Amino acid sequence: MPAIHIQNLNKSYSHKISALKNVSFDVAEGEVFGVVGPDGAGKSTLFNILTTLILPDSGEISVLHKDIIKDYLEIRKSIGYLPGTFSLYPDLTVEENLIFFATMYKSRIKDNMSLIRPIWQQLLPFKNRYAGKLSGGMKQKLALCCALIHKPSLLFLDEPTTGVDPVSRKEFWEILGSIKQQNITVIVSTPYMDEATLCDRIALFKDGSIVTMDTPQQIIQNFAGTLYTLRTSNIFNLLNIMKHFSCNCTFYPYGENLHIIFYENTSTALPQFENFLKENHQSYDHLTQITPTIEDCFIELTSQKIAL
Amino acid sequence: MKELQQILKKEFIHIFRDKITLFLVLAIPIVLVLLFGFTISTDINHAKIAILDLSNDSQSNELIEKIDASGYFEIVSTPKSETEIDNDFKNKNIKLALIIPPNFEKVLAKEKYITIQIISDVSDLNVASILNNYIKAILHDFTLDYNVGSPMKVPIEISTRMMYNPEANSVYMFVPGIITLIMIIVTALLSSITLSREAETGTMRMLLIAPVKKIYVVIGKVIPYMILSFISTIAIIIISVVVFKMPIEGSFWLLLLLCIIFMLTSASFGMMISSLVKTQLDAMMITMMGLFLPTALLSGFLFPIDNMPYFFQLLANIFPAKWFIIAIKDVMIKGSGIVDIWLYLVILLGMAALLITFSLSRIDKRR
Repeated sequence: MPAIHIQNLNKSYSHKISALKNVSFDVAEGEVFGVVGPDGAGKSTLFNILTTLILPDSGEISVLHKDIIKDYLEIRKSIGYLPGTFSLYPDLTVEENLIFFATMYKSRIKDNMSLIRPIWQQLLPFKNRYAGKLSGGMKQKLALCCALIHKPSLLFLDEPTTGVDPVSRKEFWEILGSIKQQNITVIVSTPYMDEATLCDRIALFKDGSIVTMDTPQQIIQNFAGTLYTLRTSNIFNLLNIMKHFSCNCTFYPYGENLHIIFYENTSTALPQFENFLKENHQSYDHLTQITPTIEDCFIELTSQKIAL
Repeated sequence: MKELQQILKKEFIHIFRDKITLFLVLAIPIVLVLLFGFTISTDINHAKIAILDLSNDSQSNELIEKIDASGYFEIVSTPKSETEIDNDFKNKNIKLALIIPPNFEKVLAKEKYITIQIISDVSDLNVASILNNYIKAILHDFTLDYNVGSPMKVPIEISTRMMYNPEANSVYMFVPGIITLIMIIVTALLSSITLSREAETGTMRMLLIAPVKKIYVVIGKVIPYMILSFISTIAIIIISVVVFKMPIEGSFWLLLLLCIIFMLTSASFGMMISSLVKTQLDAMMITMMGLFLPTALLSGFLFPIDNMPYFFQLLANIFPAKWFIIAIKDVMIKGSGIVDIWLYLVILLGMAALLITFSLSRIDKRR
C-alpha cells in the first residue's frame, strides 16, 4: 500500500485559475519523493490538500491509507509538516517552541528524542535563545525538530531550503537522509532542481500538471536531445544575437554559460551553429557536449511542449 | 487539557515578553478614566459674562448681586452700551451678556412685567444652553423672591427631584462608557490582533495541521486577554468609586458577572474579525473602525440612542455595548438585580455563542 495515493486530483481557486489539473501519483512507504517545479506550479496547493488544510474539487486521495475528506483528523495525528517560511513563535525560546509543538501532538520531548537527537544536539547551545534570533539554517533545524517530535510516519517539507544558505542546505539534505533511515516517508517540494537529484523519485510540475515523474537518473536518461554548453564573455549580447539563429533547438542561459539543446542530428547542426557564431563575430570557448542536469531536463520537457 | 494549558502558558509568555503592550493595557484604562473624570465635565463654573445695566436702581443691583453670588458666573465687564457688548464678546471672551432695560424698578413695580435680554455665544452649543438654563433659573428665583408677600403668586411652581443621580454628576454617565470602551480595546482589539498574528506568522497553519482541538486554540488565546481586561475593569471601578464617588447601588458580584459576560462577547467579536482578515494591521483597522467607533457613537455612551434616526437605532442593537451599557447603568446607578437585567445577559451570551461558532467554522474551513 502506498503512503500517498492520488487519482485525478483537480483543484481550482476560481473558475478560471486552475491550480492542479488531473494529477495522479503514488508515493511508496519509506520513499523520499520530490515535488519539483517553479513558483506557481501548484506545489503549495498540493501540499495544502495533502496536509488536510483545504479540500480538493475532485479526485480520490488517501494519505497513510486514510481518506483525506472523511478521516482528516486521523491523518493530522500522524503527519509532520515543515513550511518554507519560518512558522514558529519568534518570542519563544528554542526549547519552549519544541515543548509547545510536542504538546500540541500529545507528545513529550523525551518520547522521541532518539529521532531528533542528531539535530537537537546542534541546537542545544541555543536552547534558551529566542527562536526569532536564530540564523536561517538553525531556524529550519528547529522547525524540523518541531515537525518530527511526535514521530510522524509521513513528513511534508514545503520548500524547506528556500532562503537558506548553501552550506545549511547541504546539511539539511544530509539530515533528510538520516530521517529516511527511520522509515519515515518524506515528500519534499523544492524549486531548486539540483536538490531534486537527492530524491528517490521526483515529479516535475508545471502549471498544475505533472510533466514527468521518475527517478532523477531515469529522467536524465530520457533526455531527448543533445546538450551543448559554451562559455562566453558577454551572455546578454549572445542571447540577443541567438534570436536570429534558426534551428530545431532550444537555448537558455545557465549561470555564466549558454546551454543549447539540439533536437536534430548534431553532425549538421553543430557546424551550422559554429558558422553562425563566427559570422556574428562571437568569441567563445568550451563548446562541449555535457550530460544534462534535472534543470536541463525540465527545460527540455517544458519547451518541447511549446514547440509542439 | 494539557494542550489548553500549554496554549495558555504560551500566550502569557507572549504577553509578559511584550512589555510595552502589557504596560499600555494596564496603564491606559487608568489614565483614561482619570482624564475623563477630571476634564470632561458638563458642570460649568465661573463662566465669564457681561451685564449692561441701563437702570442702575436698587432692584437691578439686587439682581446683579444674585447672579454674582450664584458661583456659576463671573462678571468681567459692565459695558455702557450695546456696541461695547459686541467688543466684550470678541476681546474679553464672555460667554453671555445680560441687558437690564431702563427703569427696571419702576416698570417692575407698575406693570409686574418686564423683558430682559440675554445674548449668548452659541459657538459652543452645549455650553450656551447650560448657561442659559443657569441664568433662567436665577431669574426665576429672583421673580419668586420679588413676589413674596405680594398678592400675586406664580401659578405653577416646578419642583424637580433628580432620581438616581441627585447632583446631576457627569461621572455617572461616563464611567460605564469608559468601562465599555476599555473592555473593547483590551479584549476585542487584542484578541483579534493576537489571532491574526498567528495567521500572519504561519503558526496558525501549524496549529491547524496539528491534531489539537481548535476550540482549545481559540479559548487559550482569548482567556489571557480576558484576565488582563478584568484587572483593568476592577481598577476602573475602584478609581470611580474612590476618586469620583461613583456609587455601586446594585450587587458588586452581579456587576462582575456582567463585566465577565461582556468581555466574552467582545473577545468573540475580536475573534470573528480576525477570522475574516489576513493581517494584524487589517485586524486592528477593522476593530477600530468597525467596532470601536460604532461602539463609542452608537452605544448611547456619547449620544442618546432615542434621538438617533430610526435606522441607527436598529443598527445600535447589533453592537453588544448598547446592551452592556444599559445593564451596567442599571446595576451601578439604579441598583437593579439579576431579575431586571437577565435579558441583557442572555442577549450578550447569545451574541458570544453565535460569534464563536462562526469564527471556528471560518478558522478551520477546509474549502
